[in-house]
Amino acid sequence: MPTDEQADLARAVRSVLARESGERLWPVLCEQVGVAALAIPEAFGGAGAGIRELQIVAEELGRELTPSPLLGSAALATHTLLAARDEDACKRLLSPLAEGHALATLAWACQDGRWDPASCAFTATPAGSGEYTVDGTAHYVLDGDIADTVLVAAQCGDELGLFEIADGVHAEHRATMDRTRRMAVVTVTGARTVRIGTGDFRAGLARARDVACAVLAAEQVGAAASALEQTVAYSKQRVQFGRPIGGFQALKHRMADLHVLVESARSACYAAGEALDTALDAESGQAAARAALTAKVYCSEAFSAVAAEMIQLHGGIAITWEHDAHRYFKRAHSSSQLFGQPHEHRARLAAGLLD
Amino acid sequence: MDLDLDERTRQFRDEVASWLAANVPDKPMDSFDSAAGFAQHREWEAQLADARLSAVSWPEEFGGRDCSLLEWVIFEEEYYAAGAPLRVNQNGIFMLAPTLFSHGTPEQRRRILPKMARSEEVWAQAWSEPEAGSDIAALRSTATRTDGGWLLSGQKTWSSRAAFADKAFGLFRSDPDSDISPAAHPPRTPPKDRHRGMTYLMFDLHADGVRVRPIEQLDGEPGFAEIFLDNVFVPDADVIGEPGGGWRVAMTTANNERGLSLRSPGRFLAAADRLLELWRRDGDPADTALASRVADAWIGARAYQLYTFGTVTRLADGGELGPESSVNKLFWSRLDVELHETALDVLGAQGELRGEWLDGWLFSLSGPIYGGTDQIQRTTVAERLLGLPRGAR
Repeated sequence: MPTDEQADLARAVRSVLARESGERLWPVLCEQVGVAALAIPEAFGGAGAGIRELQIVAEELGRELTPSPLLGSAALATHTLLAARDEDACKRLLSPLAEGHALATLAWACQDGRWDPASCAFTATPAGSGEYTVDGTAHYVLDGDIADTVLVAAQCGDELGLFEIADGVHAEHRATMDRTRRMAVVTVTGARTVRIGTGDFRAGLARARDVACAVLAAEQVGAAASALEQTVAYSKQRVQFGRPIGGFQALKHRMADLHVLVESARSACYAAGEALDTALDAESGQAAARAALTAKVYCSEAFSAVAAEMIQLHGGIAITWEHDAHRYFKRAHSSSQLFGQPHEHRARLAAGLLD
Repeated sequence: MDLDLDERTRQFRDEVASWLAANVPDKPMDSFDSAAGFAQHREWEAQLADARLSAVSWPEEFGGRDCSLLEWVIFEEEYYAAGAPLRVNQNGIFMLAPTLFSHGTPEQRRRILPKMARSEEVWAQAWSEPEAGSDIAALRSTATRTDGGWLLSGQKTWSSRAAFADKAFGLFRSDPDSDISPAAHPPRTPPKDRHRGMTYLMFDLHADGVRVRPIEQLDGEPGFAEIFLDNVFVPDADVIGEPGGGWRVAMTTANNERGLSLRSPGRFLAAADRLLELWRRDGDPADTALASRVADAWIGARAYQLYTFGTVTRLADGGELGPESSVNKLFWSRLDVELHETALDVLGAQGELRGEWLDGWLFSLSGPIYGGTDQIQRTTVAERLLGLPRGAR
């Protein structure tokens, strides 16, 4: 259940969304609501809030499918940096992010799009005096062509390491079915760089992915709730056979089932945020990871179901470009793939639960 | 549940857990819908009552512990996690008792609740009739005024536990003019308010004029019964609320949060955990599709717990359950069926043999039907939560 402060945050985001759009939106959200700073500790110039707060913003952005760097920069890249526990790098990189003056991205996934911490798209080779040479091509990099800071996950001998790439990055925007999600292919050729943090970064990368999954789940909940609201509203207004189609039991019951789905998805999503925010030790960390994957699976499937039903219940108008239904449908599909498909997370969960 | 529990709640949870660990029988009891099982479950309830654990959310003076809703949810989690027996007197404890707390007289509470807490009296419900299932307001059994009380006549059906229970409660039509059935008034237009003229009554299943015909359910046990009533005398003292005001009495507690509607997540979490154990023992690791369904059942039970916890928090802040209870019912009834289907698929051919999963599966099939069918619940969600137009039922 959201606290009063969280409800205020949601209202603040909603009011900015009502006034601003396009390129002005993100700077205003950062200046007036401080969304980029939310989940950054105060020591690094942030607001010291939690994943739950990021989820609240994501849920509001999700309602209208508003494009924004929240997921790629404020959630994934920021939490990747934090997970690396490198104080110097955090000090240097996080405060421009917190102010909303810069964007960061994490390049990680190979073309298979698995976001599995056991594999990554880059290799790093020691080049002496603490420096490394990084090579590789990552796919599905959020805001990769407009980010100021590019972090890459690279295989480094037996370990996995995190690197910041300043020069030698080639990022190319990719056209996606879901036009509201900006993605790029990022190629790094022989870039010389220093490593962020020490030791194997697999666990940190998994944690960053879990945070991103929990925030994405919130976006899915917001979008699913809004898609259902629009469908309900349409069915009350569209008249056939002399009455609003929403009065027909065959349609009512389908919408009732969707309501059950959306509300339970919302619970799973909030619980994931709370679990990530309160995880302190290995055991609660594992429970939080499980909660995040549960949320991602559950919310992906709930949103996909709602978006498909949105089209069916709207009828002919929903298969036109001018109606929004296809945008929700496409977002449902793309967000279901992003950071790992439901069946992959289910297999991860199953491996943890069933062994 | 991963909550910040206060000290009192933690102590309560620990007490419940350790009492259950020491007292839950090792061997599962027979079904409470068999004569032997009914007696075993009645004894178990008395044992629970000795530890003041049979009705924890009731006030202390009636054998309860004044538990908050959260404490009740925690009790239920521990209860099912411990594999404790199903509650033979659930109709009484979770349906009639809340009705008595809201609408009963102090005399009724004193007379009825202590015996209920110990299951010295086990209660059956008597709502449905042959012509009144989902449309309960169509009921036709009558209560006719007589000296010092009422005479009940008619037929009730699908009365859970009635085969072996001692007493029953239900609604009766006490104003003959309010009977809307075509048989009663063929030429007249039915009155507008179908809900007036009903009275909420309790009656003894062993009284003169009562005949109980057990009905075997699909598991072969008589889980419910038909009740035939022929001028059965009931004293005024056994009317709950005002004569003629029974519909309101029934509806105010129909959504009781501790009852069916907010069915405790502990039940499904425990079943999901047993399913995981079953998978570890019998599952084929190469069968990833089935492994996914096992994981899904666990995800579903967890999601139901989280949703219910949200509801509990809302209610603790002074909210009312209202039509949201239909969301719970839709959720758990489907979850229960899917969870058991998955277990049977893990068991494969073994699943055909009589056992707890098969019994649980057969029982789960009734979930989408009793307590208001899932179709009725969907209509409630659609009209009262989504605001969709009311239409023909």
